[in-house]
Amino acid sequence: VKVGFFTDTTLCIGCKACEVACKQWNQLGDDGFHLTGMSYDNTGRLGPSTWRHVTFVERDEPQAVLPSFAWLMMSDVCKHCERAGCLEQCPTGAIVRTEFDSVYVQPDICNGCGYCVSACPFGVIDRRQDDGRAWKCTLCYDRLKDDLVPACAKACPTASIQFGDLVQLRTKAEARVEQLKAHGVDGARLYGADAACQKGTEGLHAFFLICDEPEIYNLPPDPSVPTKGLAQSWRAMAAGVFGLAVLAASAVFSARSSR
Amino acid sequence: MRSNKPRPTDGRNIDPLLGTLAGEGSLQRIRQVDAPPHGEFGSAGKTPGDVDGPSYYGLPVLKEPVWKWYIPAYFYVGGVAGSCAALGAAAAAVDREDFADLARLCDVTAAAGAVVSGGLLIADLGRPGRFINMMRVFRPSSPMNLGTWILTAFGGAATAAAISHYLPMPRWTRGLLIAGAGATGVTLTGYTGVLLAGTAVPIWQGARRELPLLFSASGAAAGGAFLELFSLGKPAEKAVDRFATASKAAELVLTVVFERAVGRVPRVARPLRRGLSGWLFRGSQALTAVSLVLPLLSSRRAVRVTAGVLGTAAALALRFGIIQAGRASARDPHATFEQQRAG
Repeated sequence: VKVGFFTDTTLCIGCKACEVACKQWNQLGDDGFHLTGMSYDNTGRLGPSTWRHVTFVERDEPQAVLPSFAWLMMSDVCKHCERAGCLEQCPTGAIVRTEFDSVYVQPDICNGCGYCVSACPFGVIDRRQDDGRAWKCTLCYDRLKDDLVPACAKACPTASIQFGDLVQLRTKAEARVEQLKAHGVDGARLYGADAACQKGTEGLHAFFLICDEPEIYNLPPDPSVPTKGLAQSWRAMAAGVFGLAVLAASAVFSARSSR
Repeated sequence: MRSNKPRPTDGRNIDPLLGTLAGEGSLQRIRQVDAPPHGEFGSAGKTPGDVDGPSYYGLPVLKEPVWKWYIPAYFYVGGVAGSCAALGAAAAAVDREDFADLARLCDVTAAAGAVVSGGLLIADLGRPGRFINMMRVFRPSSPMNLGTWILTAFGGAATAAAISHYLPMPRWTRGLLIAGAGATGVTLTGYTGVLLAGTAVPIWQGARRELPLLFSASGAAAGGAFLELFSLGKPAEKAVDRFATASKAAELVLTVVFERAVGRVPRVARPLRRGLSGWLFRGSQALTAVSLVLPLLSSRRAVRVTAGVLGTAAALALRFGIIQAGRASARDPHATFEQQRAG
């Protein structure tokens, strides 16, 4: 079965237990404890050694039911896209789709070419410069194989991060949006729940319920797997290459009899 | 039992004697605990007077390309090698004594360029020792994987073609090797544009069709400028001059077409107008224009060599400029947002 995350940001309290659980289970190095000055977010971004990241948005705009000042917190993670740019662009085959339909980087194959870094429309995967390889969330591949829930979902105290069968999660998510709307939270919407919701990636295996425009959570509004337009590029290249060959031939043959 | 070893300082805070290092990330080699990446914290990339839409503290959405100077340098070397192979094949095809020098120079340049290209690409890898993993799969969805195969085929063909000039062999064998080098060479020149277009970086993605054309033309211009540095006798020099003039003109036109294509969303084209990338891009246009006009004014040797040097500088500036523009573009969240909102 396809499994994944449904992250309901309306339930997130910003405790960062998911960040800690992820670091601890996967034995990743810390982030150096820098203060960023961006609300309570001192993590800043997803990175090669940071596979969960809680964003803290301080929204100060009048709303229908919520008070005008609102905390919007979201635990961000690799989206394990249905059409994953990193996977499709990986030239070594180090990035694979697992039996759980997650996207996994095999550290013993990756040679650190860095192409996936530029191919990810969400800016998730990155190369660790001192390690030389690309790293990202594994959806706790090791735990899944032992029938355990990923560390972040296990640690989440408010069920903001829910793990399970994607079909069931989608049903649950849609019901939750209805419920929120009935309570007057007009901005509630799903981000990347399926192919209809996000055409470019054909749906995310880690999707979100957000309360405002995706931009304020640092999510791209309409991401697309970069391989989608490649046919156009290859056709343009064929034209360019043909032109170059014609140019070379005509330059030489026209100069043949000059002196 | 407590260990007497000092606590590990790699940020994991796990004493290897007390805990098992078996987690997924325990394989990570950590020499230096993370610093803020790209220095972006607190410097939210705002220019006075900008009215930006919503963003997350102005932080980038995308990760900056991690490629070092090796990659734009490879774009240049590969372009020279590939277009020289094409010109060499044409020169060998006319099969005349006064084109023999040109054909040989082209094929030797192509072979040397293929070797240097391979070296540059391997040096850029995070794990250079594993470069061979590029060839454990054939994956048409990945331009980098196809590029590896193209470069490998080109390297083999170009080396064989270069050697064929110095070994006695039947004419058709030599012709076949040289034609093979030419055919793979033109592909090598063009695919690098597809490589960049196949990323999520707004300024590269915004020119899906234009980048491969620009790289083909610019590769030819780089090859032409390189060959202008040599004296090869009258008809061969004439051929080089025509090749160089036409490709430099094409490159100049295509830089304008490229800028217009990415300018469909003005914010995306911003790196071509500002900062280091803007200087490199404009500088390359100016250098190309000068090196295009110079040989038309005079056919003196010093003028040809000057045009060759300026053309080479232009080709390098264009490649470094486009990579630099990609970095700036990935750093700017509004380029990503506005491009996607524009559809």
